[in-house]
Amino acid sequence: MSAPRIIWTIPTRGDGPRARGWAAAPALPPFIRDGRAGGPPPTPFDHLHQISRAAELGGLAGVHVPYDPFGEESLVVSASLGRDSRFLDVVAGFPAGIATPVYAAKLSATLQRAFGGRLGWRLEVELDDRVQRAQGDFVTGADRYARAAEFLTVARAVWHGRDVDFTGRFYEVVKGGFTGPLAGLPFPPVYLSGTSDEALALSAEHADVHVFDHAPDDELDRHLARLDGRVRRALQAVVHAREEEAELTAGPGLRGTYAQVADQVEAYRERGFDTFFLSADPALEEVLRIAQHLRPLLAGRA
Amino acid sequence: MTIDLWWRIGMAGDPASMRTAHRQSRGDWAPPGPDSIAPGTRDGEPDGYGLLDYLVQTARAAESLGFHGGLLPSFPGTDDPWAVASALARETKTYKFMVAFQPGFLNPVQAARMTASLHRATGGRVAYNIITGGGGPPQLWWGDKVAHDDRYARTSEFLDVLRGVWDGGPFDFDGRFYRVEGGGLPGPLAGLPFPEVYFSGSSPAAIEAAGRHADYYLSWLEPVEALRAKFDAVRERSTAPEFAVRIDVLARETAEEAWAEVERGWRHVRPEAVRAQLSRDGGDSFGVRRALAFQPGSFTGFRDFEVRPNVFAGFALMRPGPAFGLVGSYEQVAERLDELIDLGVGSFILAGGPHLEEAYRVAEGVLPLLRGRLGDRERTGPVTARA
Repeated sequence: MSAPRIIWTIPTRGDGPRARGWAAAPALPPFIRDGRAGGPPPTPFDHLHQISRAAELGGLAGVHVPYDPFGEESLVVSASLGRDSRFLDVVAGFPAGIATPVYAAKLSATLQRAFGGRLGWRLEVELDDRVQRAQGDFVTGADRYARAAEFLTVARAVWHGRDVDFTGRFYEVVKGGFTGPLAGLPFPPVYLSGTSDEALALSAEHADVHVFDHAPDDELDRHLARLDGRVRRALQAVVHAREEEAELTAGPGLRGTYAQVADQVEAYRERGFDTFFLSADPALEEVLRIAQHLRPLLAGRA
Repeated sequence: MTIDLWWRIGMAGDPASMRTAHRQSRGDWAPPGPDSIAPGTRDGEPDGYGLLDYLVQTARAAESLGFHGGLLPSFPGTDDPWAVASALARETKTYKFMVAFQPGFLNPVQAARMTASLHRATGGRVAYNIITGGGGPPQLWWGDKVAHDDRYARTSEFLDVLRGVWDGGPFDFDGRFYRVEGGGLPGPLAGLPFPEVYFSGSSPAAIEAAGRHADYYLSWLEPVEALRAKFDAVRERSTAPEFAVRIDVLARETAEEAWAEVERGWRHVRPEAVRAQLSRDGGDSFGVRRALAFQPGSFTGFRDFEVRPNVFAGFALMRPGPAFGLVGSYEQVAERLDELIDLGVGSFILAGGPHLEEAYRVAEGVLPLLRGRLGDRERTGPVTARA
């Protein structure tokens, strides 16, 4: 069994208690000469790159830039982080409502060119209604799954085909399709999530990987039983790993000593999970911890 | 009166934490293992990254947090600081490079030209940490046979030559150690602002030379009364430069957490290493000999090396480098730094292992608690008492 793929979550709304990369860095006491004086203003992306570079140097499989209407825009962040790495898979989260499928595919084709085919799509379907309406998206309920299916169908069709005609409930395309260097690129692996019947049916048709939230074993087993066998399984969890049990604080997710968390990951591996969307705060310090303490244990067991 | 805060660059790599301070798993100075990064492996193959990629992260962290820049130390077993500074130059924007070097190994005209080019590459972000003393086998490793006190005379000549060619020349010099005819930096390289000079050395010869050449007299951390005496000696012998102190910091929210980190790191210290340290002599180095004078007389546990409150003399046993550092809560470490500011320290070179994460910790935890010089505090009124 190969080592599990760890995808690290990029905090696009600030990292750590001081919200690095989101809130302005704290001012130094007035009697200290600020080394930043005279330089260009720092950009909020600087810290996001610190995290993704740590994930890259730390040998992790990828980063996940979540869709968050109240945070940095995920495709722009993905583009930036993808250019600044050589190995990381960059999984961009976004919902179908942000653009037509042709436009999303075209933008993604450029990203695939920009960083050599390492882009993934995490298509978010079940967003909060109010949040969605504030983004100008009024498709609700089960229609969201019907739209997502059309979105992915159209995106794949224009990505791989020429003279694509499509007429559906949500989208219409005439003579679509990419040409020249935009054609023939690898389509981004599609990550979907959700545990409703509609969600699992969508995955059966369109997902490469289905992402489950961390949940009790019996609950997860019920969901897994309904997932199409061809779809790979991923787990999403907060991770809290320390050297000794006494250092742990209580909370949900994968937690324990490094060895205990490795055991937990291993148990999921045995149940068919190959990808782990992990997050922790602060993301920079914690990704280095995972890279240097957990990853070697997992590699040793693979 | 402002204070400059530098954050050291870990030229020998970094441990994952002080708990494993003996293993520099970041960089390639420790044997590669599954925990190694920069360089690391992907699917069993080298990932093509190296220590420099990690140093970029450290420098960018320090820069983003407002540190003035970083000290790039020089050791026989590590990368050359000029080369590293040149490589980091384009990766940073305001970060200043305090390049450590010994005059004996480098022609002063070449040093001037390297500095000027690096100044041009960075918009004037070069400073010097000039090392003269030391001695014993390391000095001969470099091929330097000049005796200890003569090395200070050589450093003086070195700086005379460097300054002589700096503004363009033509410059002639005929000294004990160097000879130049018609020297001078060419066109656009000439006449740039001269780098700030940080000068180290604890011997009388060093202090004498510091007075003539240094902007900052740089010392390792020592107990505060020892530093006071040292600074007084510098003030007596010379037109006093500013004072700077280089300090390892291990700070946590509570003192208990900080000492627990030391305790875990200390598990890797072998008892025979402690015994050897307690009976060590300092060789040619006045600084090392001074540090050894503060060691505990007997040993019952690692806290014996806390020779003054929060001043821990056991760092050298946990990792290569100077003996003294500060261990304690953010409050305590801030108080110790404030004491040094009161002593007249105008610049700090701080360090921590690993330099990446600890830069954030010190900047976010300790620096906001600094109160500055006593006089400034009196002027601005009472400050709320600390826990």
